[in-house]
Amino acid sequence: MDITVNGTLHSLDLPDDTPLLWALRDGLGITGVKYGCGIAQCGACTVHIDGQAVRSCQVALGDTWGDVTTIEGLSAPDALHPVQQAWIAHQVAQCGYCQSGQIMQAVDLLSLNPTPTDEDIDQVMSGNLCRCATYPRIRAAIHTAASMMREA
Amino acid sequence: MYKTLFPLVLIGTAFAATAETGQPLDISALPEPGSIDASDALAAWDRIHDVASHPRCLNCHVGEDGIPLWGTVAQPDRPHGMAIVAGDSRIGAAGWSCRTCHQTSTRPNRVEHAAPHTGMDWQLAPVDFQWVGRTSAEICQQMRDPDRNGGRDAAGLVEHILHDAELIGFITWSFDPGAGRAPAPGSLQSHLEDMAIWTAAGMPCPQ
Ligand code: FES
Ligand code: FES
Repeated sequence: MDITVNGTLHSLDLPDDTPLLWALRDGLGITGVKYGCGIAQCGACTVHIDGQAVRSCQVALGDTWGDVTTIEGLSAPDALHPVQQAWIAHQVAQCGYCQSGQIMQAVDLLSLNPTPTDEDIDQVMSGNLCRCATYPRIRAAIHTAASMMREA
Repeated sequence: MYKTLFPLVLIGTAFAATAETGQPLDISALPEPGSIDASDALAAWDRIHDVASHPRCLNCHVGEDGIPLWGTVAQPDRPHGMAIVAGDSRIGAAGWSCRTCHQTSTRPNRVEHAAPHTGMDWQLAPVDFQWVGRTSAEICQQMRDPDRNGGRDAAGLVEHILHDAELIGFITWSFDPGAGRAPAPGSLQSHLEDMAIWTAAGMPCPQ
């Protein structure tokens, strides 16, 4: 099974119904993507396929319809994505477990809606749970990232 | 009853596409227009309505608010979790799309409580097809009206089911929704037969 992740083509010898989440973590050792529930209830496993946020626990490896981007491939370490910069500025993460999923969903949100209201943010981010309840900082960081992206 | 009404006269075998279960649809004995009396047709409509008003179907046949349901037979009006609003696009295009969780895949739905998938892109039914909060007579009038049913005539309504079976779409899925979900009553075959009976009699509706 061939799959492009973060710009690199990989061949994986796994059953084609393997969830993409496990293909990434166990097959490729890409561990920024997290397992929380395996049933689309938490958002910890969010990655992008062709730029769209998806729950990687729900995608069979054989159904992966485009190029995959994980948090590792979102930006270069010396040129972080504005959402990552805003996350650092607001010190959003507590334990951090949910945060790669939060960031991948937030990037998708801002690509669809560059000027989200609090309500827009709450609505779209409602599928990404945070046991540490960092929600107020997530919301603030998304507003900051939105203005950084508008000014850029 | 069906076999009594329409004895199988096989002129070649007419099987339509298979569903996930591998069961082919038998279209060899569907009735001809005009061959059905009104009471049989209304009985068929009642069975169609039993399907249309089951939570498996209602959950996505919602109104203008675009909020899908996680209804069950015991609690049919429970809204979808995660503050989902599918919006005017009916696919969540403005915020997060249905596809974030609901994949397009003909693989069996094996994982309990996971986001179900079908061979069609996940979406709400068009707002014209609102069935939540509608009576049997109202749903019937909508279903027979080409202005509100996607431009389908009688043959088009039957074809709609056959096409869905080919894709393993939402109608097909509703009878075989996978782990932990109550299926719509009956089977895809019985639903196809009921639709053929009802349409062959001119789509009569209850008052
Ligand atoms: S692990 Fe995929 S949504 Fe929770
Ligand atoms: S930071 Fe701990 S779960 Fe979100």
